[in-house]
Amino acid sequence: MKFQIEDVTVYFPYDHIYPEQYAYMVELKRALDARGHCLLEMPTGTGKTIALLSLITSYTLSKPNNPVKLIYCTRTVHEMEKTLAELKLLHAYQTTHIGDRARILAVGLSSRKNLCVNSRVLAAENRDSVDASCRRLTASWVRAAAAANPNLPTCEFFEEYEKAGSNAVLPPGVYTLQDLRAYGKEKGWCPYFLARHMVQFANVVVYSYQYLLDPKVAGYISKEMQKESVVVFDEAHNIDNVCIEALSVSVRRQTLEGARRNLSKMRQEIEKFKATDAGRLRAEYNRLVEGLAQRGNLPFTDNWLSNPALPDDILKEAVPGNIRRAEHFLHVLRRLVQYLEGRLETDNVEKEGPVGFVASINTHAGIDQKTLKFCYDRLHSLMLTLEITDTDEFLHIQTICDFATLVGTYTRGFSIIIEPFDERMPHIPDPVLQLSCHDASLAIKPVFDRFQSVVITSGTLSPIDLYPRLLNFHPVVSRSFTMSLTRDCICPMVLTRGSDQLPVSTKFDMRSDLGVVRNYGRLLLEMASVVPDGIVCFFVSYSYMDGIVNSWNENGILKEIMQHKLVFIETQDVVETTLALDNYRKACDCGRGAIFFSVARGKVAEGIDFDRHYGRLVIMFGVPFQYTLSKILLARLEYLRDTFQIKEGDFLTFDALRQAAQCVGRVIRSKADYGMMIFADKRYSRHDKRSKLPGWILSHLRDAHLNLSTDMALHIAREFLRKMAQPYDKAGGSGRKTLLSQEDVEKMSDGILNEMQY
Amino acid sequence: MASGHVIKRAKYKTSPKGAGTPGVLKMTENKIMFKPNDPTSASKIDVEFRLIKGYKNTKEGSNNPPLLNLSLEQGGSYIFEFENFLDLQVCREFVGNALTKSGDAAKAKSGDTAKAKSGEAVKAASDRSTVTYPDEQLISSAEMELRIKLLRENSELQNLHKKFVLGNILTESEFWATRKKLLDGDSGTKSKQRVGFKSSMILDIKPMTDGRTNKVTFNLTPEIKYQIFALKPAVHRAFLNHVPNKMTEKDFWTKYFRAEYLHSTKNAVAAAAEAAEDEELAIFLKDDDILANAARQKIRRVDPTLDMEADQGDDYMHLPDHGIFRDGSKEITDSQHEQFKRTFLQDLNRQGEVVLEGRTIDVELEDPRTVAEALAQSRQESDENAKQERLDRISRMTEMEDLQAPHDHPLAPLCIKDPRDYFDSQQLKTSDDTRAGSEQLRCSLSSEEAYGSLRGSISEIKAMGLSDPVVRPEVAVMVLNGLTQNISSTKFQLGKNAQEGILNSLPNTTKEELLHHWISIQELLRHFWSSYPITTSYLYAKVSRVKDAMSKIYPQLEEIKESVPSDLRQQVFLLVRPMHQALDAAFQHYEADLQKRSAKSGDKPNGYV
Repeated sequence: MKFQIEDVTVYFPYDHIYPEQYAYMVELKRALDARGHCLLEMPTGTGKTIALLSLITSYTLSKPNNPVKLIYCTRTVHEMEKTLAELKLLHAYQTTHIGDRARILAVGLSSRKNLCVNSRVLAAENRDSVDASCRRLTASWVRAAAAANPNLPTCEFFEEYEKAGSNAVLPPGVYTLQDLRAYGKEKGWCPYFLARHMVQFANVVVYSYQYLLDPKVAGYISKEMQKESVVVFDEAHNIDNVCIEALSVSVRRQTLEGARRNLSKMRQEIEKFKATDAGRLRAEYNRLVEGLAQRGNLPFTDNWLSNPALPDDILKEAVPGNIRRAEHFLHVLRRLVQYLEGRLETDNVEKEGPVGFVASINTHAGIDQKTLKFCYDRLHSLMLTLEITDTDEFLHIQTICDFATLVGTYTRGFSIIIEPFDERMPHIPDPVLQLSCHDASLAIKPVFDRFQSVVITSGTLSPIDLYPRLLNFHPVVSRSFTMSLTRDCICPMVLTRGSDQLPVSTKFDMRSDLGVVRNYGRLLLEMASVVPDGIVCFFVSYSYMDGIVNSWNENGILKEIMQHKLVFIETQDVVETTLALDNYRKACDCGRGAIFFSVARGKVAEGIDFDRHYGRLVIMFGVPFQYTLSKILLARLEYLRDTFQIKEGDFLTFDALRQAAQCVGRVIRSKADYGMMIFADKRYSRHDKRSKLPGWILSHLRDAHLNLSTDMALHIAREFLRKMAQPYDKAGGSGRKTLLSQEDVEKMSDGILNEMQY
Repeated sequence: MASGHVIKRAKYKTSPKGAGTPGVLKMTENKIMFKPNDPTSASKIDVEFRLIKGYKNTKEGSNNPPLLNLSLEQGGSYIFEFENFLDLQVCREFVGNALTKSGDAAKAKSGDTAKAKSGEAVKAASDRSTVTYPDEQLISSAEMELRIKLLRENSELQNLHKKFVLGNILTESEFWATRKKLLDGDSGTKSKQRVGFKSSMILDIKPMTDGRTNKVTFNLTPEIKYQIFALKPAVHRAFLNHVPNKMTEKDFWTKYFRAEYLHSTKNAVAAAAEAAEDEELAIFLKDDDILANAARQKIRRVDPTLDMEADQGDDYMHLPDHGIFRDGSKEITDSQHEQFKRTFLQDLNRQGEVVLEGRTIDVELEDPRTVAEALAQSRQESDENAKQERLDRISRMTEMEDLQAPHDHPLAPLCIKDPRDYFDSQQLKTSDDTRAGSEQLRCSLSSEEAYGSLRGSISEIKAMGLSDPVVRPEVAVMVLNGLTQNISSTKFQLGKNAQEGILNSLPNTTKEELLHHWISIQELLRHFWSSYPITTSYLYAKVSRVKDAMSKIYPQLEEIKESVPSDLRQQVFLLVRPMHQALDAAFQHYEADLQKRSAKSGDKPNGYV
């Protein structure tokens, strides 16, 4: 359908539109007009992505002399694929209705691991070794050597791509990762470098958060994005965590051991070069004297992870004299490693600010702050000079240099915490030194500064006023939308008591209580016998899940559950979890359904949809609080309190509830879908916890459902499922319209818009 | 039994190992005779079938020679060795048939109607040999066994069988021909539907303790072993490699459960220590490399919308040691003894996968080697199809179903609130005239007429094309009405007069008799109607036999009617009436057909109707 929002003609690929999608587009359009940032919360299952994509592409179409580029950031690769698939649908619609004018180029970008088509490179185990094997075939010096000696292996795909030169372009269209690989194979061009190249010209780029937020990656991938771009962070409820992770480094014993090995390897290399090609080292020295840390524009393939510090904070000056010579630099690094080893040999938890830590390094190891700051650049230069291709081998020394650069650059918003062992396992010594960032606004600041509009959107951004404070920005639009439902297709419940009427909770003093474990088991068992198809369960942590599944096994509940449905479980092994999910879907497709056990904050909770029959019920066992005794969390809470005046308790509850809401929100994908959500913990009945849930869940949480026991919940579930199985009128016949046709949209007044907002 | 007798070369033995006397075995309806080649030999046998209690034989494919062992009622046995298994098969069938017959006859003798029936049985046996039954000989022994089994399980069927087959009204093959489904269906389920795994199978392998000592006992069945093999390919491979060359099967399983115990204690260090000492034990303790490889294969085919492995490949945030290592939200792992730390959760996932795959093979569980080969074969899939399916699934997943018009054409839902109303109203519409019409339709057309009408319609189509409907609407309506009327009338009766009620109010004997007659009539009618049109003399004979049997039942029904007390007579009358009607219709048809045949036999000399 086609309709008008103020001066923009919006092309929407479906015959109908939800009113909240329309309202969402209106707000988004205003934000684009104002060239400002915005924060939009809209429930899951209301078609955020397609609304967003069609508005922004239509916006560009209606303003042809001022085109905006869309940079769409997703958290995961499978979300990237989903987004591109939706964009494909939209693109097909737009080109049939407008013609060639609507043609755009949209590419997804991922790592070599996901894009490479060279079977020799792909044989490598993990991402880092894939990167390294690629460099082994494509680095500029390798190719130069291969030109002289044809026996040296190179990558035929990259050579073909290079040969094609400026002709190597992607024709307009929407390319998922799979499409890119297929195109690359067909043409014989390297899809990874082709995509990297095309990112500059594409109208829509879809990639992962970190390609913008993590300076190490953004430094070489997103450097040349123009200011006239709209950046969208989808599913952004965890964006603050991504930001602080991007600037954090941890050093363990293994790291230091690896770094020592790296240093001696580099020393050997230097000796070798001294004997054979001393001119090269001298050339590097001269370049450093001239103040060029980098060799200007590096060939595409030589790029590696860049400076961990944010672009504005990197000093544009010459490398200090004491580390210009390669041997001297190695000495400095060796002293640094030695110092860190000494710090790890501690029996107590130590916490320090960066300033104190740098001062201590200076007195004990004789390395000053400025030297620390240049560590990364100096290492990078040295590795290029030494022509090191095994980048995966040198990650340890890279980590040390990242640490040094960050600790030398930032004086506030960070702390250094040294723990001799994990508090939960005090008998296993595993010392770790962590540089942890507390301020999420640091990493995202360059993005806000650089781009015209940044859209942060998710199904759960409640309380919506907290995010601008955490990320330190001023949105021009900040809205939360309700969900207009044709029927009550979600049924949230708070279960506070088990079948024996005793309270259930995962509170620390209750979680190992056998009664609670049994009550949780009975709840799942009863539900498994009533609910058709898929059931998803979320636990507060892996260790808790492991414990509870084992005790269910011991007292026979698990066996009873398996009489009804097959059980699949998320484990820490990603491959296994993926296969388990695949099997779970198979089981839901063909039989009596299955149960999936997962972990809040885990990978599954983050991005897998359990829509339709893949999830008719989701049970959240307990409140997914963070481990509150964690030193890092405490330091962060302290920082938040001092800097943003956010109370510790508030933040913890907010964090736990956004995770819970995220977990239960996975069951619904459209209004035709339906699902139940059970919050199984007595603490959810308290107002201060519950009120942090997003509005679209709260508005369906009836007072009668706030304090249920297992038998009552079972009764409600039966009723609900029976009701949902009936045919219904999709347009929402009486009263409010929940599905708008083209005429409805044209006739619509602003009245409906106001209704949609809180 | 088919040809009346069987003659085969065989050796007579007194014991299975002995050399035996070569000679000729001859079996007739009720006798077995053995004449040795050497006329002076003493081992001449002449014995009646009724003296033989049972028989045994060796199986084909076993190492034993084809032996048939007939045991006598008085004790002792005859053993015959045949030249090949084919002969054995033929003889065994013959013996089997003869034995059931003589057994039935013996049973009948002891009953109250002894004399009449046994006479019949004997007559039947002799009669049958005079008529040739084309398909009789093809019955395999397996089918025979199946028939016997069915008869044993179903007493009603047995009664019918006794009454008609032994009563010489129907032949064996005729009786079973109408029950092909029973026979087929049974053998069909055997081959097609396989029982899957139980979804809680890994929980089923539990040891038993005697409670006093620390010793535990596992009871392993082939089924459990098979499940373990399916769950753990590495164990399977180890079994193939080590048993029985390196260790005994018992040792193997003891080691296996020792390893399982170590897992269950979750003491990775202890497991590692034990594994270091005992390399065979280490096989069970280490991760399953076959599974790991399979996982690597499968991950490529996984749906991209849930491919979390790709995420990991894209995640530069979590470079080793970058990001936050220990903030409480992440879990702790002990990486040192990782390979010895297989968790229960992993086992659960694996078992879910195996259950979903189902029992992929259909071979004897006893032989693990064939199992392995079959497993390997069944695991190969075509990659291409999977890829296309993945793409399809993604495009299906991305569409929002309720925002667009439904894919299929709109349908008006059929809503019948009260079926009785619906059918009653249908019945009203079909008044008497249509019924007359339908009866007219039903009456048989002569072949000339049929031919003429066919020709007419063909020429019509030739002239006008196919624009007109092939079937005239009036006819179509008539047929439809005729059909629905039938449906409605049964519905009507089922709904309104509860037959069970009447039946239950009758005395038990009457009720049983009625039911028995009803079943017999049904059986006979089925045979009667299925023999039309009569094309061979065989069918003619059958029809007359069946008709005679039916006419015997007719007066019996009358008797029942009169024997019941007067207050029930009305209801019994209601029940008997449809039976009478059905029988009358059959008789009528028989008479009419007979007349037609006698009238037309002049024109059609070959007996064709």
